[in-house]
Amino acid sequence: MKIEGTETLHAPRDRVWALLDDPQALASCTPGMQELRPTGPDEFEAVLSIGIAAVRGTYKGKLRITERTPPERYAVQVEGSSGAGFVRAVGVLELEDQGAQTGVRWSGEVQVGGALTLGSRMIPGIARMLAGQFFQCLDRKLQEGSA
Amino acid sequence: MATRWLGAPIKRNEDPRLLVGQGLFVDDVQLPGMLHAAVLRSPHAHARIRRIDVRRALEHPDVLLVLTHGDLPPSLREPLPKLIPHPDLKHHKTQYALAPDKVRHVGEPVAFVVATSRYAAEDALELIEVDYEPLPAVVDLEEAAAGRPALVHEDIGTNVAAHSVQRVGDYEAARARADLVVARRFVVDRGCASPIETRGVVAQWDPRARQLTVWDSTQAPIPIRNGLAALFGLAQKDVRVIAPDVGGGFGPKIMMFYPEEVLVPLAAMRLGRPVKWIEDRREHFVATNHERTQIHDAEIALDREGRILGVRTVFLHDAGAYIPYGLIVPIVAECTLPGPYRIPNYHAEFRAVFTNKTIVSPYRGAGRPHGVFVMERLLDLAARELGMDRAEIRRRNFIQPHEFPYDVGLIYQDNAPLVYDSGNYPAALERALEEVGYSRWPEEKARYRAQGRRVGLGFACYVEGSGIGPYEGCRVTVEPSGKVYVATGVGTQGQGHATSLAQVVAEALGVDVRDVHVVTGDTGAFGWGTGTFASRAAVVAGSAVHLAAQAVRQKALQVAASLLEASPEDLELADGRVRVRGAPSRSVSLGEVARAANPLRGVIPAEWEGPGLEATRYFAPPRGTFSHGVHAALVEVDPETATLRFLRYVVVHDCGTVLNPLILDGQIHGGVAQGIGGSFFERLVYDDSGQLLSGSFMDFHIPTAVEIPEVEVIHQETPSPLNPIGAKGAGEGGVIPVPALLAQAIEDALDDLELEILRMPLHPDALFELIQKASRRRP
Repeated sequence: MKIEGTETLHAPRDRVWALLDDPQALASCTPGMQELRPTGPDEFEAVLSIGIAAVRGTYKGKLRITERTPPERYAVQVEGSSGAGFVRAVGVLELEDQGAQTGVRWSGEVQVGGALTLGSRMIPGIARMLAGQFFQCLDRKLQEGSA
Repeated sequence: MATRWLGAPIKRNEDPRLLVGQGLFVDDVQLPGMLHAAVLRSPHAHARIRRIDVRRALEHPDVLLVLTHGDLPPSLREPLPKLIPHPDLKHHKTQYALAPDKVRHVGEPVAFVVATSRYAAEDALELIEVDYEPLPAVVDLEEAAAGRPALVHEDIGTNVAAHSVQRVGDYEAARARADLVVARRFVVDRGCASPIETRGVVAQWDPRARQLTVWDSTQAPIPIRNGLAALFGLAQKDVRVIAPDVGGGFGPKIMMFYPEEVLVPLAAMRLGRPVKWIEDRREHFVATNHERTQIHDAEIALDREGRILGVRTVFLHDAGAYIPYGLIVPIVAECTLPGPYRIPNYHAEFRAVFTNKTIVSPYRGAGRPHGVFVMERLLDLAARELGMDRAEIRRRNFIQPHEFPYDVGLIYQDNAPLVYDSGNYPAALERALEEVGYSRWPEEKARYRAQGRRVGLGFACYVEGSGIGPYEGCRVTVEPSGKVYVATGVGTQGQGHATSLAQVVAEALGVDVRDVHVVTGDTGAFGWGTGTFASRAAVVAGSAVHLAAQAVRQKALQVAASLLEASPEDLELADGRVRVRGAPSRSVSLGEVARAANPLRGVIPAEWEGPGLEATRYFAPPRGTFSHGVHAALVEVDPETATLRFLRYVVVHDCGTVLNPLILDGQIHGGVAQGIGGSFFERLVYDDSGQLLSGSFMDFHIPTAVEIPEVEVIHQETPSPLNPIGAKGAGEGGVIPVPALLAQAIEDALDDLELEILRMPLHPDALFELIQKASRRRP
């Protein structure tokens, strides 16, 4: 299924890019992220604990940055699985220079399998909620940094 | 006058036990030291297995055994047995006990864990790491038939398992001289049976006696026993399979083998301890067989008087990932399609196609609802085009009562000619129409319309193939207590065999039906038989029971004749005694006769053919017998919410001799409920990657008592000439015509919109869309 959204971050694009390029900042802002370990250039192993509908699980997976065009475009590929099933997703993030702030357009294509499919109709809603939390966290960090 | 038991509406012998919770379902089997199994299932519809790592699962302190494909004995590494071969089935691919190198549907077993509790076994599943390489999933049936986007089984170079054609007469020639040809595409989507009891298996191995005992929620315990003996190299006598109480079967519980049916016994033998596996509901949705998807491109050719010149259907049948059960469902669909009508020229052609979905095997109706939907819809559409009354077009085409036996000209699922044995099709329709007030319907409908209500009248006719061979058997024993014990191979899944079969015996022996104890589904009690399917238990097992009971009756008369110093012709059996006719004081109880038939000393006459009041008989019908019926209903449609309400539901049903009308009513009520569920509420929805999206009761809506109307049942009896009791099958008639009836009723209720309902199941959302589209067309 396809999901997408737009956000506004309150910092210039170069600073947003620098933050997005920092795995630790990413990890600390990703809801449920318990571990993010680099395994190679632009490759990470991640452990994520998250609940989707009635199905809560800890997912072990791989995260790969497949495209990086500073400071405007960033694409990732995620694969994770747990006893509750698997998630595969590709996501694209585009940053638009708006002077003192930055427009973010994000989109993703998510596929789930196993028990997770029981909650699949809720995934777009959950994804939007999680994305909202993620960007709020980034925005907070950006504003803290500038203070 | 002796009490008549056969045909009496007596309450079920098994109910007191079941109602107070004293049933024995597989999950009720508790054995000392019993272990519990769980199955790791593929989350992918189609993927290569690169690697399976079970080390961490084996390290779990409560885990005793972890099996993957490589751990299986050679006989279980092969695909499981091919159940029902057919010359047109070129690629008879069957499922594996555990997937070797590739998974082909979500839910396919990949690993099997045995632990001290189910809880631990489930935990251990999470410790198994499987590295999958996902492959494109074959989901869409038409794409699959064209070999896209992948091959479910690469080695055969196609997704088409079978291509089959049956012809009667010359359809093309009939079409050429027709006044009217109506052609449409009809689609029937996937559904499943959803029995209250999911599947379950318990196995126990006695290493000293070298005996394997298996409790299995199967509809076919004897073939399971025979198969297990072959796979494990045991004598059939050393394997006992018990299908105890089974909480609903409806067809899917007759697969042989489901992987767990071999894995649980294997684990019990390896570990020397009993092992239990009970399927949970989430597993059931993907691991127990489904039914139904077919796409029919069908047409009917008629003259201007509405007489059928010919019918053609070319259809695709979705087999799922494997096709163990062969071509039964599509064959039944094409053979049910002609129904009660004279169709001189018929062309039926299908392709059975592999997809990356759960396996398809018969589910109550088993292709019959598809055939009836196509045929009845074609007639409705033709009547509309001809401006003819929809009942009249049927009347003009019915096979008449004097035309039996009627050879349809096809070969049926039992490989025997499709010959209707008996019936009265026009009478059933007239009765149903009268009951539902068809002749007054235009005024009634107008009255509803004046109140702003949209009510439609729908009806549909069907012929139900049932009671096929090859055979069933029965042993009837009268013990010295006077109680009668009956053992037969067909299992029971709630059909009331302990009552209806007991009635056949009570009738023959003149005993109270409560003194007749029926054991079914235990290979230790009776070891010959095939199973409960195709609405055949009452017909085939019932006839075997009748023959065995009659043999015991003759023996009782012989033995009693010597006790009473009378001639057997002067004796009668009633109230559990053998009496001299006209001299009721001269009598002996049946128990005394049984004792006399098994003396400790002395001589037994040669004509007794052995000791005891006991006989075993088999019944092998020459071919199937054909029930028929008509359902008619008044259905109110709310065009705003696209929901339905049944105001009347009438079933006129003819299944030959009725053994117990109460049980028969129950069969029909349940069938109608399942038919309504499968036509309007339930649907198995897959996404493009082959994931089942409606795999829980949150999304797969089983109708409740609120949605199901009161069903009025009228029995007509045209006995079958093919068996000694005149019975025909009744298990599926409740389901078969429901989709066709519903479509006609909704179209009638909304006739100003000129809807065409060509797809089933129909849902409130699908109906809403149809209504919206039609309303836009007609501003």
